[in-house]
This record gives sequence, structure tokens and C-alpha cells, in this order.
Amino acid sequence: MAIALEGSVVDELIAICGPEGVFTGRSALFNRARVPAPFPAHRWEDHIPQAVVLPTSAEQVSEVVKLANRHGIPVVPRAGGTGLTDGAVPLNHGILVDVKLMNRIIEIDHGNRTVTVGPGINMLKLNEELRRHGYFYPDDPASYPCSLVGGRIGTSGWSLIGARYGHTRDLVVSFEIVLPTGEIIRVGDGGGRSTRKSSSGFQLKHLFIGHQGTLGIVTEATLELAPRPEAEFSAFFSFSDYMGAHRLTGDLSRSGVATLGGVVLFDEMKIAYLRRDDEAYIPQDESVRAVVACASYGNADEVRAGAKRLLRIARASDGSYMGDEISQGDWWSRHDRYATPQHGRTRDGQVALMSWHCEDAAIPYTELPAVREKWHAIASDLIQRFDMFDDWGMFAYTNGAHKAWGDYLTEIDIGIWESRWTDESWAAWVDAKREIGRVALEHGGSLTACHGSCRAGEVDLVPVELGGGFEVMKKIKRALDPNNIMNRGKYLLDQAYEEE
Amino acid sequence: MLGFRLSAQTPPPARPVTDGVVSRFEHTYEVDPALMTEHVRQQQIPNWDFRRIVDSRWEHLHWMRDHFADQVIAASELLAELEAEG
Ligand SMILES: Cc1cc2nc3c(=O)[nH]c(=O)nc-3n(C[C@H](O)[C@H](O)[C@H](O)COP(=O)(O)OP(=O)(O)OC[C@H]3O[C@@H](n4cnc5c(N)ncnc54)[C@H](O)[C@@H]3O)c2cc1C
Repeated sequence: MAIALEGSVVDELIAICGPEGVFTGRSALFNRARVPAPFPAHRWEDHIPQAVVLPTSAEQVSEVVKLANRHGIPVVPRAGGTGLTDGAVPLNHGILVDVKLMNRIIEIDHGNRTVTVGPGINMLKLNEELRRHGYFYPDDPASYPCSLVGGRIGTSGWSLIGARYGHTRDLVVSFEIVLPTGEIIRVGDGGGRSTRKSSSGFQLKHLFIGHQGTLGIVTEATLELAPRPEAEFSAFFSFSDYMGAHRLTGDLSRSGVATLGGVVLFDEMKIAYLRRDDEAYIPQDESVRAVVACASYGNADEVRAGAKRLLRIARASDGSYMGDEISQGDWWSRHDRYATPQHGRTRDGQVALMSWHCEDAAIPYTELPAVREKWHAIASDLIQRFDMFDDWGMFAYTNGAHKAWGDYLTEIDIGIWESRWTDESWAAWVDAKREIGRVALEHGGSLTACHGSCRAGEVDLVPVELGGGFEVMKKIKRALDPNNIMNRGKYLLDQAYEEE
Repeated sequence: MLGFRLSAQTPPPARPVTDGVVSRFEHTYEVDPALMTEHVRQQQIPNWDFRRIVDSRWEHLHWMRDHFADQVIAASELLAELEAEG
């Protein structure tokens, strides 16, 4: 159990955030110890914060950070708590800054097409308001209903329709951030709040996106506004073999259709998994072994013309159109279908309560078939050794921003029976994660396309992936966070202080 | 108002669909109860609740879809146009 904060520190926090903004009770602390990624539930207490604060302004956040520096207490930023690399999980207890109350829409700039929001707002709720004005904020992760803008920036998130509209880093125009020493600055492309492209100075916006809360806390963000799409189009095609599906995926991705939001390829294990429990796939013929899906958004006439071109390409492949019901219903289920089954199968086929986990990487198109085989072999080895894992298959999803070709966000979904964790099975899981990451790097990819890479297992490979870049990361961390306050222990950045 | 009658709410017998899947109502599927004997037990759900769950799912999906665009262009319609164009 973490040592409780001294009463005087709690009093100082209350003086900053008010009594209604500071929590030290067990449920407030325990509920913010984990995220949905596999968690060592048998070591829950190692990860609980000592206090939770819910600030309502940048000034309050700044004062909390300054206090943390004075007392040498770590600070962990947390938004929706849906991040899959444990970014919001305290590794050294400390003060958890939950930004959920900073969830206001501050300004809609109709002339320059931006909306300025607090970091605690969720995209679904934001879009419900924007719709009234004919606008759309097109950051659409599978966690659309539950992740928040601050966490999207902390993660450098990936969007399901990113091939059309870009990903979080492309959609956040500028933002205000409290640095690890408490100063409040604004970063963007250059200095302007709504400047889309500037050549002025260092490109600091990118430095402060995707750092998993190790370089500061975002307190306000100015976001891109797209016109609300008039039309949506989605189509699913079935294949009797993976390679045929892989070819069509590439062909659709390279089509140059501007309204194309993304193309996704489900492999044989994914179809086998869906065939077990998913009403759309259970009735499919045995010959269906892989599926390709694509979706488009935009003005109705453009979506229609682009979709016809996509369908012409698909007609020339070995695939078969699967029908409107699955093409539409499955696309509409994209925010929850793969994440919420909450059950898997033991080795003898019995149903057991399992939570979902996905390992993600960015993999070049040409390497997808080889990576697929290696990843499933790693999962299979894990399943043979511990009857608590279940391979839920893989998908590959276009990863480029404003273009569909190139590399793919590639995920293997694994069901885990978490109440069976032991130190041994946890260690085996961490090893498997490392192997999955190693394969991604060996095939010219990146450890992660969307989740980040600061969990046990994957994080060991960050210096391998980034090389000299990791040395620069450590220097930046030391310079901006001299007391190692901000999300201490993440991304191996403690090393920056050991090498003094 | 009709009262709750057990006979009207008891699901019909399951028919096998595939290995490990059974069905009691059209287009809805359940895990074969034989696979739910050790770690998780299946519960009997009254028919009204079963329908409510299925209908709510569709309601939710339409609600979610509506957040993203005003209209849906069906691929079947475009494929028919492509056929006609030759
Ligand atoms: C079902 C499901 C589906 C998912 N699908 C996707 C997907 O399609 N695409 C994708 O990108 N991700 C996906 N994720 C992962 C997750 O939703 C994203 O990583 C998301 O960006 C996290 O947002 P959050 O608000 O939950 O952040 P949190 O988990 O609370 O935080 C994420 C990181 O950001 C930091 N942080 C939080 N707030 C701030 C702030 N104000 N300033 C600075 N740093 C901050 C935290 O310290 C942490 O390191 C999925 C997760 C789930 C559970």
C-alpha cells in the first residue's frame, strides 16, 4: 500500500483545487490505478495513487505541479483512462491529475474553422454539439465514446478514418500545456492559435504530442473543424484465402480515392474468432477465411463516385461482396465489437471470463503476411503454456494520414483471463509482448501505431527502435523536468537522471 | 395491460447452428450451453429481455451511425448501377 500523503500536502492540494476537487478515499484511488490493458491484478496496490485531484483550470494544474516539485512527489496525468500502454497508471504512486472536469467547449471559431476545448471533453460529446453547426471533429478511435481529448494528445492517437481526415496529431491545431515545472505555454505550428502550417522555430507541437504525460499536462486544445459528412459508405468483401484479401487491401489503399477513410484486413484467426461469437459471422460459409472492409465519408456526390471506383477495384479481385447488412452493421459496430466480448475460450473450448487486449504495431504493407505468421506463433506458444490466453485474431488497418497507402496499424487481439495471473504467467506475457515488438522492428515497422510503447515488455525495445533519438528524449526530459515529476518511470526516462 | 406469463416468456428450445453455437430466435445466436458448464454458467433470459437486448443493440448502432453522417450509401445500389453500366 502506498504511503499516504502528509496531511499538510493534502491541505495544500485542497487550497489549490478546493475540497470538492481532492480525493484520498480508497475507491477514488483504486479506480484510477489501472487502464483496460492487461494489468497485474495480483499487484494492484503497487499502482494506486496517493491522492487524486480534479482541477478545473490551467492555473490549478500549474499550482499542483509546482507543489509536486516542491515536495518531490510524482504527478500522473489521466484523462479517460482508456490508454492501452499504461500511460495513466501510476508507477510510483503520487498525485494523479484527472482532467475530466476540464470538459468545456470554450470557443467555436466559425471563420477559421477551429474549436477550442478543455482536455476532459470526449469526441462523441463534442461532435453532438458541433453537429448543430454542421461541423465534425473527425478523430474517431475505437474508443470514440470513452477516450478524451487530453488523452488523445498524450497518446498521439490513431483514428479509424485517418486516411481521410488525419490522426490526432493532424487534427490538433495548437494547445496549452503546463510544463513539468509549472509554467503554462501554448504550442502549435508557430505561435498562432489556428495556424495550420508555420516554419517558425522548432516544431514543438509534435514534441508535446504522444509523450504519455511525461512532458506536461495539456489544459486546453484548439482542434480542426471539418464539414459534417453528408454521406457514409462502407463495404465488406470475403475471401477464401488471406493473400487474396491482402492484395485487395493494397489495391484499395492505393486507389487514390480522396473520400476513402480506411481499409481493414481481417485474417483467418480473426474470422475464426468472430465465427464463434459474432452474429454477423456465425452464418458465414466455411469458405470465408479473410475479410477486407473499406469506408468513405464526405459530400454525397464525391462519396458515391469514389465508392464506385472502390467497388470496381473490388469486383476485379477474388473477393465477394458480403451484403449491405454486414457491411453497414459491422462498420457501425467498430467502436465496440472487438473489445467487449468479455469472454474467451480455454484450451478445451469452455467459456471463461476474459478481458480483451490488443498489441499494436505499424507494419509495412509488404511485411503483413510474414508478421502475421510470427505473431500467431508467439500467441500459440503462450496459450500452450498457460490456459488463460486466447488468440482472437489479427487485423491490419491503413495507417497513413490523408492517404491510405503505406504501412498498416496491425493488431493481434488476445483474450486474457486476468484472475489467473501469477508472477510466472505475467512474466511470460511480458516476454511475449517483447517478442511481438521485436518482430515488428525486424520487419521494418514501429512498436506502435496508436497505443504508445511504455508498458513492460515493449518499452525495453524503445531505445532499439529510436537509437540516437532515445538519447535526445532523455536530454529533453532532463531539461524540461529537472525533478522527474511528470509521470515518473514511464518510457525508461528514469535513465535520464541516473546518468548524471 | 398483459401480466407476465412464464409460458410466454420461456425461450423456445435451442437448435444447433454451428459447432459451439445454438439459436432460439431468428438471426440471434448463443454460445452452446455445453461450453458454459465449468467457469461461467448460462442464465435463462425471459423472451422480453432477450428481445430488448437485441433491439437495443440495433438502436445503439443506428444512434452511433447517425453521429457520423446524414445518409448511408449502400454498396448494393452502386453495384447494381455498375452492373447496368456493363
Ligand atoms: C476499446 C478501446 C479501443 C481503442 N481504440 C483505439 C483506437 O482506435 N485508436 C487509438 O489511438 N487508441 C485506441 N485505444 C486506446 C486509447 O483509447 C487511446 O490511447 C486514447 O488516446 C487514450 O485516451 P484517454 O483519454 O483514455 O487517455 P488516458 O488513458 O487517460 O491517458 C493516455 C496518456 O495520455 C496522458 N494524458 C492524459 N491526459 C493528458 C493531458 N491532459 N495532458 C498530457 N497528457 C495526458 C496520460 O498520462 C497517458 O500517458 C482504444 C482503447 C480502448 C479501451
